[in-house]
Amino acid sequence: MRDLIVQNIEKQLGAAQVLSGVSFELENGEVLALLGASGSGKTTLLRSVAGLERPDKGKIEIRGTVVFDAASGFEIPAEQRGLGLVFQSYAIWPHRSVFENVAYGLRLRHAPDAEIRQKVGDVLARLGLDHLADRYAHQLSGGQQQRVALARAIVYNPPVLLLDEPLSNLDAKLREDARAWLRELIKQTGNSALYVTHDQTEALAIADRVLLLDRGQIQQDGTPQEIYGRPTSQFAAEFMGSNNRFEGKVGEVADGRARLEGDGWSLWGKLQGKKVRGASGVGLIRVERLHLADAGGENHLKMQLKSALYLGERWEYLLQLGELRLRVWGEEQRAPGEYWLAIPQDSLWIF
Amino acid sequence: MNRALRTIAVLAVALVVFGPLGLIFYQSFLSEAFFSPTARFSLGAYQYVLAVSGFLSAFGTSLVVSLGMTLISVPLGSVLAFLLARTDLPWKKFLEPWLLVPIFLSPVVLAFGYVVAVGPVGFFSLWVKALLGRVPWNLYSLYGMILIAGLTHVPHAFLYVSSALRTLDPSVEEAARVAGAGPWRIAATVSLPLVFPSVLFSASLIFLLGFELFGLPLVLGDPAGLLVLTTYLYKLTNLLGVPSYHLMAVVALSIVALTFPLVYAQRRMLRTAGRFAVIGGKGQAFRPLPLGVLRWPAVAIVLLWLAVTVLLPLIGVGLRSVVSQWGEGIKISEVLTLDHFRELTGYPNLVRGVLNTLLIGAVGGALSVLFYAAIGLAAHRWQSRWITLLDYLVMLPRALPGLIVGLAFLWVFLFFKPIAPLRTTLVSLWVAYTVVWLAYGLRLISASLLQVKPELEEAARVTGARQSLVYRDVTLPLIRFGLIGSWLLIFMMFVREYSTGVYLLGPGTEVIGSLIVSLWGTGALDLISALSVIEVALVGLMLFIALRLGVRLDA
Repeated sequence: MRDLIVQNIEKQLGAAQVLSGVSFELENGEVLALLGASGSGKTTLLRSVAGLERPDKGKIEIRGTVVFDAASGFEIPAEQRGLGLVFQSYAIWPHRSVFENVAYGLRLRHAPDAEIRQKVGDVLARLGLDHLADRYAHQLSGGQQQRVALARAIVYNPPVLLLDEPLSNLDAKLREDARAWLRELIKQTGNSALYVTHDQTEALAIADRVLLLDRGQIQQDGTPQEIYGRPTSQFAAEFMGSNNRFEGKVGEVADGRARLEGDGWSLWGKLQGKKVRGASGVGLIRVERLHLADAGGENHLKMQLKSALYLGERWEYLLQLGELRLRVWGEEQRAPGEYWLAIPQDSLWIF
Repeated sequence: MNRALRTIAVLAVALVVFGPLGLIFYQSFLSEAFFSPTARFSLGAYQYVLAVSGFLSAFGTSLVVSLGMTLISVPLGSVLAFLLARTDLPWKKFLEPWLLVPIFLSPVVLAFGYVVAVGPVGFFSLWVKALLGRVPWNLYSLYGMILIAGLTHVPHAFLYVSSALRTLDPSVEEAARVAGAGPWRIAATVSLPLVFPSVLFSASLIFLLGFELFGLPLVLGDPAGLLVLTTYLYKLTNLLGVPSYHLMAVVALSIVALTFPLVYAQRRMLRTAGRFAVIGGKGQAFRPLPLGVLRWPAVAIVLLWLAVTVLLPLIGVGLRSVVSQWGEGIKISEVLTLDHFRELTGYPNLVRGVLNTLLIGAVGGALSVLFYAAIGLAAHRWQSRWITLLDYLVMLPRALPGLIVGLAFLWVFLFFKPIAPLRTTLVSLWVAYTVVWLAYGLRLISASLLQVKPELEEAARVTGARQSLVYRDVTLPLIRFGLIGSWLLIFMMFVREYSTGVYLLGPGTEVIGSLIVSLWGTGALDLISALSVIEVALVGLMLFIALRLGVRLDA
């Protein structure tokens, strides 16, 4: 049985169409990331699943139970959906201790006191919060608050855990550590999770599957490897990673590949979609796919190195050939001058 | 809370607001009192009021007083706001609460204080006369009334202008300073122009309050024969010798017809002001503007205003309450006495008045806060057309002076036989007070509710709590300090209230405020001064507690 089925959700807020026909399914135990820029509708989608927003159209099912159906006007309120939600701001109740924050969901479910003590104790211990049970939100660090919010959402074992940018309020260093243990924790619970983020690295690291959203529509639905390595649209290709983008005219076209031509250069790449000779095209290649070569070869360009920027863990060179400007990463400092640049055919996408 | 309960709450507000207003409206078109069997439809009351009596001259006086006091209080209040909100004025922490004190003092007590301090035979007048040989001012004049109304309404301008100034990004002033501008020039060319919508809003508010003035013109205008709209309404009975309800209704309606457009205009302005306020970001570190050598003259301005507006009348009232008599040639040390307070205990209605005031402040105030909280929670995060209706409903009482609400409820309690027995109990007074302070009370509640971040409530819902449990377990516990603060503020407002009880005054409904108004007609200065001291002491005590608890007075 699927944990969550979302069908054709549409939502309008004021004049803006926030969601226009979003559908997806969540397998049991799966972690699904909703990735998108601000305004892509990802948070609205999450809040619709939670029952905090009411979509205009569509249907939502949780573990075989319909919780929302616009066609019949049926809606189960948020409090009866049994979900867990971790808010971006954590939303720890400031007037309750850590223990009482976590215990609240169990109290609402009329669990006996002994069971509450045991379950809350367990989850606090698992998250390394057991020594903080009597503290209040203002006495906790950001990382601790984040874990309390998580404990509060998982303690009553919800079928689907919803997370709204749970790591975005943490320091950069803390965030990297949190990624690993958060994924491990969600996997341990065995329940599925819907994870909203605008941070692509986070989405790729945490999720089993990523849903790329743009302006209320799903641009691509796939594993992290597919989303990053095999984008199906120019938007998806440009959204992920750090890219070089340049325009040209399509020359030859042959079995899924094409030659993109510009002023003083021509390059073979993978053709995405259909193009005919003479059409204008856009070339896209991840910066890390380019490298300087010692000598010329197939799909190599001789370019002028204009400047080299030191970025700490690497150097970034700016290369130019006429109008064509490319960013390339390398290991060492390079003096300005002429260099050969290798552009792997399979890594250059032509849209 | 479900839709039905929310809707009931809105309808309850509609009932208490429209009920009395509707009755006044109905009465204005009758030839006699509405309960009179011979009453019939007539426009006679309108014709009479507009043509025969001194209505138009009272209207003119009201207009002049409103304009005059606005011209005094807005510039002065804006300057004080700039000094306290933006500069390194010395003793700021100490001065700030004092600036708001006049809001919590009864105008009728203040007016009485001015009479005994700087009236023709006031304490200070006689001292000045001994020095100069004459008193160089006349309190009982249009100018005296305008000046005192202007000075006592400075806090209203201060409140709105300073809260806007606090959101201002300090770097816009620093830019002017670096460019070479001194503090006064910065205030006049940068800070105050940037908060101009708030200055304008406070001006319209004070202009509105001018039409609702009652205590000041009653005490200060009367001896000079000056009537404003409210005192004209109050005197109408005496003028004709019989209670002429239809004429009172017409005057009351005409006041509402003047004030309602002003309240409506303010609502529009507040929206624009909100947009304007975006210029400043919150969370700006506050960097006060150094006044340099000007700091001492600046402090002097603030202290002078405080001395004239708060200390002068309060010293007057205090002194008057402990002297057996006062006039030319009397030495204070020879007439000191506590007899007036002893004398007070000989009047059962005055003793009841003091107890009733405490009761309506403490218990009635708490009940009113509960009522406001129920309405506030009903409207809380509810997106519905009912909310728009509620917004407009709440506006209405702001356009209704307490005097008129009191009159309307007197009629309601006369008109509806099932509740008629309540007229002679504090219940009638409490209902009227609650309606008069509806807008203020709801503002206090919604200010508290605004502090509750929506995620805190959403978190409880997703966790499994239904709406009523969310309110019980999250919203209410989070606003409990706000509710206590609101109660203290409402307590003070109820204690200082005087005009609402004027018409409802009777055995069982005496409160200090309305007793002072009725005693004023008899000239019992001894008793008035003793009652005033008791009222000021009560308000002072509550104010002290509120400040110790850290309650914000500038709601």
